[in-house]
Amino acid sequence: MNIKEYIESGIIESYVMGLASESERAEFERLSAQHPELVAARRKFEEKLEAYASENAVPPPPEVKVKVFKAIINMENSTNARPSGLLRFVAAAAVVLLVAMGYLYFQTRQENRDLSSANDRLRDKVTETDSILKQIIGEQKAISDSNTLVVNMVGTKAAPKSSANVYWDSASSKVYLVVRNMPELPSDQQYQLWALIDGKPADLGVFDARDQKVILQMKGTKRAQAFAITIEKKGGSPSPTLEKMQSQGKTMLTQ
Amino acid sequence: MGIPTTYTEQELVLALKERNNQAFGFLYDHYAGALYSIIKQIIVDNNELASDVLQEVFINIWRKIDTYDPSKGRLFTWMLNIARNASIDTLRSKSYQNSQKNQELPDNVYKEAANPFTLPNVDNIGLKKVLETLRPEHRVLVEMAYFKGFTHEEIAEIMAIPLGTVKTRIRNALLLLRQFLK
Repeated sequence: MNIKEYIESGIIESYVMGLASESERAEFERLSAQHPELVAARRKFEEKLEAYASENAVPPPPEVKVKVFKAIINMENSTNARPSGLLRFVAAAAVVLLVAMGYLYFQTRQENRDLSSANDRLRDKVTETDSILKQIIGEQKAISDSNTLVVNMVGTKAAPKSSANVYWDSASSKVYLVVRNMPELPSDQQYQLWALIDGKPADLGVFDARDQKVILQMKGTKRAQAFAITIEKKGGSPSPTLEKMQSQGKTMLTQ
Repeated sequence: MGIPTTYTEQELVLALKERNNQAFGFLYDHYAGALYSIIKQIIVDNNELASDVLQEVFINIWRKIDTYDPSKGRLFTWMLNIARNASIDTLRSKSYQNSQKNQELPDNVYKEAANPFTLPNVDNIGLKKVLETLRPEHRVLVEMAYFKGFTHEEIAEIMAIPLGTVKTRIRNALLLLRQFLK
């Protein structure tokens, strides 16, 4: 923008005399910050206007000055003076308020503590539930995965009613077991799952009959031609007691 | 007595912001006449009302002095605009319009403004005297904008001329005003 043209456009007079629009005023003030010559031109016009207005002054009636001063003295008094009665009331009200706030503070703090510990307990519970859920989802996924082989374990002559399912994902080597129906054992005994690899049994871990209908993750194995379940002493044995074999199932991957 | 009898503008503003009565007395003595003049140019026919407005204006100057921003203009400019706005507000107030029992003011203002040859020509003082030097079609626009407080848009509508023309004519009239003041 050419600032000389702007100065000569009539905007200065318009601004000073209060005729400029809101946006014109904003623009003028913005340009004034950048162009000292604009400010100088504005001041010059203001001085001329002031001089002209003073030359053309009309003396007001003298009583106006008296009225103005009475009014401002009244305004000063009403803002400075405070009656002592009011002051006492305010002080008393402040004390009552302070006591009430103190009581509220302690009560609120206690409530806050209670709520905070309840909140902690809830959060722990949620974390626990969350991790269980994650585990279940993971297992469910493994079981429903198309790579997972379902091996139906059928009872042997020693235990015709025993049954369980083994879910085996040979890609990830993961083995899950779902107990369907296995008789309760004495407390010093446990069931043990075996994988048969090239005719040799490999330990896949122990479980209890009361683990029914829960998905148990057992030890993993890359290879297996068959699975077998035996009864062993609590904690499991290094090799299976074959006469106590409860059930077995063949994988489809027999070599 | 050690009390200053004259102030620079900066000193005056500082003293006013400190609520110095002496400075306020100085302000009144120096500017009441100039402000009363502008008020009477807007409220033309009622000295009593003009005095009331002057009183209100000085009380407002006292109350609002903290809002005065020297970077936006001189103290007198600020006061002049307070006086002009208060006068126009009074002119437009219900009580003033009711007091003009025989004339319905808005119509009257429009008619006056719409015909430059019926502009009130009596006792022209101050800036109105400057207006006399303008061409009638320019004069009426400045009259409406400055002394009646119409916006440019309102003037364009009342006078049935384009907004751009209103703006140009008022700008040109203001430039002539500056020439006159030189």
